[in-house]
Amino acid sequence: MSNAAVSATETREISNEKIFDAPRELVWNAWTDPEHIKQWWGPIGFTTTTKHFDFQPGGQWLHTMHGPDGTDYPNEITYRLIEKPSRIEYEHGDCPLFYTTVIFEDLGGRTKLSMTMLFNSTEDRDETAKRYGAIEGLEQTLGRLTEYLAIQGK
Amino acid sequence: MQASNDKLSATFSALADPTRRAILGRLASGEASVSELAKPMKMTMPAVTKHLKVLQKAGLIRQERRAQWRPCYLVATPLKEASDWVFQYKQFWEDSFNRLDDYLKVLQAQNVSETVNPKGKRKKER
Repeated sequence: MSNAAVSATETREISNEKIFDAPRELVWNAWTDPEHIKQWWGPIGFTTTTKHFDFQPGGQWLHTMHGPDGTDYPNEITYRLIEKPSRIEYEHGDCPLFYTTVIFEDLGGRTKLSMTMLFNSTEDRDETAKRYGAIEGLEQTLGRLTEYLAIQGK
Repeated sequence: MQASNDKLSATFSALADPTRRAILGRLASGEASVSELAKPMKMTMPAVTKHLKVLQKAGLIRQERRAQWRPCYLVATPLKEASDWVFQYKQFWEDSFNRLDDYLKVLQAQNVSETVNPKGKRKKER
């Protein structure tokens, strides 16, 4: 699981990657067809119902995630950039905190999937420079916080 | 997945500045006055005060009113919420990637059986 570890890199983003033992075209299809997506999207125990799926720049994927305890989580994803078969960029319409980029890299029969989540607050969502400068050190801060909370708890 | 986004936005916005993170880091080891915070950062008091206001507005710090030197101290709850959010994100993608991995194996097994199956059209055409 180490290759899927989420880390804050020096390039100021939270990223996550994993190599899949499947050709890139298949991985791409798994991301871009709601029939495929519902088979794997979300944490263990969650199911996903798609209400609307329009896979094009500016198009939206409206879906509801159903938690194992019966709680529904409506979600709105807006695709911003699509470069078949290598790149998808999207943001959460109702949660404009982070702008996500997914890169599909062909490793000859295998596929490396890299996800990057960039801070994208409402105020600066259109300012790329700010978007790229925001998360620097976030995990260090949170790491310190965890230590702090441990001390406070005593 | 998206509870109290406004609060989270305020927290992440406040954290999106190295000076403010340094202030929080300093306060994590104990309360401090504005001048104590300003000194190691080589900043003027008004500059530090500006950052403190952002942190205060986001609910990340509080300033004591009783004591004459009005020390600042850290409020951990919003940071804990931000930390939980990041953890939730990790969980979401670790689980999803594992599920995707399994699903891709199923899809490929189906493809192979289609190709191997003598009734499969793909094989006949060749």
